[in-house]
Amino acid sequence: MKKKNKRSYRKQHCAAAGIVCLLVFSSMSAPAAADEPYDVYNYNYLGEAVPSQAGYLAERSVSGLDLGTTALNAPADLFKDSEDFFYLVDSGNNRILKIDSEFTEIVQEYTSFTMPDGSETTMKNPKGVYVSPDTGLMYIADNENSRALIVNPDGTVEKEITKPTSTVYDQQLTFLPQKILCDNAGNVYIVLNNTTKGAAMFDASGEFIGYYGANSVAPTAEVIANHFWNAIASEDEKRYRSRSTPTAFDNFDIDTVKGFIYTSTSSGSTDTDIVKKVNPEGYNLFDYMSNFTWGDLFSTWYSGTSYKTKIVDIDIGDDGSINCLDSTTGRVFQYDKEADLLFIMGATGDQVGSFTAGNVAAIETKGENCENIYVLDAGKGSVTVFGQTVFGQIVHHATTLYNGGYYEEALDPWLEVLKRDGNYRRAYLGISSAYYNMGRYKESMEYAKKADASARYNKAFERYRSQWLRQHLTAILIIAVVLIVGIKVLKRVLKNKRKKPADTASSGSGS
Amino acid sequence: MMDLTQPQWVKHVVFHPFEGFEDLRWKKGGTLKYTAIIIAALFVAMIADDRWCGFQFRPLPDAMFSVMPYIMKSVVYFLAWVLGNWAICTLLDGEGTMKNICIYSSYALIPYIVSTFINVFLSHILVRDEQVFFSTVYYIGLIWSAILLFSAIKSVHQYTFTKTVAAIILTLFAMLVILFLAVLFLSLFQKVYVFFYSLYTEILYRIRV
Repeated sequence: MKKKNKRSYRKQHCAAAGIVCLLVFSSMSAPAAADEPYDVYNYNYLGEAVPSQAGYLAERSVSGLDLGTTALNAPADLFKDSEDFFYLVDSGNNRILKIDSEFTEIVQEYTSFTMPDGSETTMKNPKGVYVSPDTGLMYIADNENSRALIVNPDGTVEKEITKPTSTVYDQQLTFLPQKILCDNAGNVYIVLNNTTKGAAMFDASGEFIGYYGANSVAPTAEVIANHFWNAIASEDEKRYRSRSTPTAFDNFDIDTVKGFIYTSTSSGSTDTDIVKKVNPEGYNLFDYMSNFTWGDLFSTWYSGTSYKTKIVDIDIGDDGSINCLDSTTGRVFQYDKEADLLFIMGATGDQVGSFTAGNVAAIETKGENCENIYVLDAGKGSVTVFGQTVFGQIVHHATTLYNGGYYEEALDPWLEVLKRDGNYRRAYLGISSAYYNMGRYKESMEYAKKADASARYNKAFERYRSQWLRQHLTAILIIAVVLIVGIKVLKRVLKNKRKKPADTASSGSGS
Repeated sequence: MMDLTQPQWVKHVVFHPFEGFEDLRWKKGGTLKYTAIIIAALFVAMIADDRWCGFQFRPLPDAMFSVMPYIMKSVVYFLAWVLGNWAICTLLDGEGTMKNICIYSSYALIPYIVSTFINVFLSHILVRDEQVFFSTVYYIGLIWSAILLFSAIKSVHQYTFTKTVAAIILTLFAMLVILFLAVLFLSLFQKVYVFFYSLYTEILYRIRV
């Protein structure tokens, strides 16, 4: 009995130890358990998709119920203000939720506002929201009420922007605001879904000024032919000719620090001006990147459907990174401010970290180094929170230093990046630049070659060559002198040798 | 007079663009052995030019190496040239035999091959700003070879200046036709091969079942 007891005790002990072991192992493999439900990849210097380390992991998915309210119904927009409060536009429920910075609870729920005359007004299918960092005013694109509201944080309407009466605005068109933002000067920009002329622009007093930042027409063969025929057509004929119009951009974000407005175009039929960086004058600073492919470099064709990247929302992080949300594949493409690809994350599916195909709505980032990314899935009615991995932190750190011109300081982070992911091309570029600045040209050449950056290689090689010449100048001179003297001596010796047999021959014949 | 060894003939021809080939013809110099060596050198030069240049001038070569494009650029083009020229000039009362066309044309390629090798070497010690040296060497080699080739065709067939020009233009056309026919034949034979192979498998299948 005792023995048996002991044995059973031992058994229990073993079992307990086993459970502890299991727990330890499972907690150790917790990151593996939280693996992303997709293959993480990046593009190497040849433009091939290669496996890569994850820069972000999906931490959790937050639904309306998680926030302590009813389920979200077709939410359309998510915005983070300068104080890290989130504003979620719950279009189907005609409300805007203000959520705390941890994204756990609702701070305030806006369903109706007080008009200046004291009456109450409600929203109808609001589509976009923006909160000014200077004034704290909330800008709401109140879509089906054909107006934009400028609201104080306490819920009183400061101003209402309705359809402009100006002749510049075609009066046959409706006025259905989709997205809205305001710049530092208080100008309001509204994306409409029925014009290709750009965003409608209103000054601080609510007057319509004009359009802002239209896309350009893709120079296809058809457009060029049209241009030619229009040049020789009469006025009468011109009226019946088809016109070349650009595609309209349908979302934008403002870099509040620099004042640039970034637009995104989700049209699947064009490759031009997918992402624009527009300065206050309306000029696209990304114009020189006309051959740049945003999103996936290759689009898949499957059963007659093209799975081409469609960027539905764009967000500029506090560190200047450009975050693009692709609705086709449910992927987030994160670029640094120079439009170099940093990370790709997300997929379509049902697990945390994947989204409803074709139905993601908005993206936001938080933190000085983009520590968190928030993706709003309209189909599921939830927000997925991505957190930065250690790898992501190092890359962001290195990128920030590098883009700031601190090449040497960025060397260690880049080397660390390479340790974790040997395919990460930007690391090779960064290391090459760092070594160049440190005067280690040989290494700089080596890394430039690995990054396939021949212009950089050329620069490093030029310095390496002059360094080498300077170091070996005496040796080179000595060798040159020895060679010249040696050749002269050799020639003379050969001459003498040739002469000698001739001499002997002549002397032989003489005797 | 002019009793030169074979290597001396090569040197004489290359450095005397206008009368060198006439001398070669008069003295019946030149051997096919040197032709083989020169074409082999051309083949190596093509590879070198593509893959061994300094990174500041040429992009990194593909990770996959296929020898076919280089054979194409050297041996096949040369053979097409010889064949085309022989075919055209037989009709145009040329005096050259196939063997002589082979020898003379190959000797004419030497400056181009040498300039290519010099460029491969230079590409490792020059930077992009000094690209002018690079292209100078290239054009010197190219023009020198072009003059030699013209002179070679002129001598081997004993043509006048205008007739040589016409012959060369026609030869280029003939090369196009030859290469076109070659591609056509290749694809045709492939089809025939596939046909017989499927026939074979079909019969095999019938026998078994």
